[in-house]
Amino acid sequence: MLTVITGGSGSGKSAYAEDTILSYGEGERIYIATMFPFDEESHRRIARHRDMRKDKGFRTIECYTGLDKVKVPVGAYVLLECMSNLVANEMYQEGGAKERTVEAVMNGIRWMQEQAARLCVVTNETFSDCQPYDTETRRYQKYLGTINCQMVQMAQSAVEVVYGIPLRLK
Amino acid sequence: MELIVGGAYQGKWEYAKKIFPQAAWVSGEDCTLEELLQADGVYGFHNFLGRQMDAGEDARRLPDLIMEKNPDLIIVSNEVGYGVVPIESRERAFRELVGRVSCDLAARARRVHRVVCSVGTVIKDA
Repeated sequence: MLTVITGGSGSGKSAYAEDTILSYGEGERIYIATMFPFDEESHRRIARHRDMRKDKGFRTIECYTGLDKVKVPVGAYVLLECMSNLVANEMYQEGGAKERTVEAVMNGIRWMQEQAARLCVVTNETFSDCQPYDTETRRYQKYLGTINCQMVQMAQSAVEVVYGIPLRLK
Repeated sequence: MELIVGGAYQGKWEYAKKIFPQAAWVSGEDCTLEELLQADGVYGFHNFLGRQMDAGEDARRLPDLIMEKNPDLIIVSNEVGYGVVPIESRERAFRELVGRVSCDLAARARRVHRVVCSVGTVIKDA
């Protein structure tokens, strides 16, 4: 079963996603972390997230690219955070899927669904402002937007979080 | 506390003035902290957060301070986290601050309204 949790930056998506996993009750909880720690700011963000979930019984698996090769225990409750990082990694990291990013990520999502009892994916709304983005950034938006649409079509439920308040999309 | 959020130029303040016609307002662009803590309502609250941040103040304490000193305040503020991660670190820090403070405000607010294209929806009614 797939739940997609989206929202803007700083909207309370992570806390809501962790609560969603906890609401499934006892079980093996896996956190798939996709943020690559490339500078001090990303280390700080990762530390903040680790601190948020430290008493919630998650085991962390790092996955920067190649979600379709990640093994999780069958029947686990899996939280993947965040799709916006995974897409950027696939597009720009060495060994990433490059122009095959959408296909590779969606294969990974299907593979996770085969293994996990419940899968929650946190993604990001990066599509609604007026900054004059360059071609490459627009390509990133296109890939992420396409993945978001395809995931929500597959999902049993989808939620947009606005400052901690869940708005049900599906 | 009442919190009214939404994107830029969505008619948030107009919506607020219709619901609270008697309220006296201050602007987040130029009000002082003292004025904020005595006002009925503040519009452009995200601008106030930006000014606090640039002045080196700890704006994360504002939700507690508002609940203590002015718990009936009406807050109109922009949602700003709906784009690609900004290149400038100041902009990243700003949207992080607006997000975290807004989550705290939403948790404490009696009602949260979200305005899109002039249409307001109550998304929390405690």
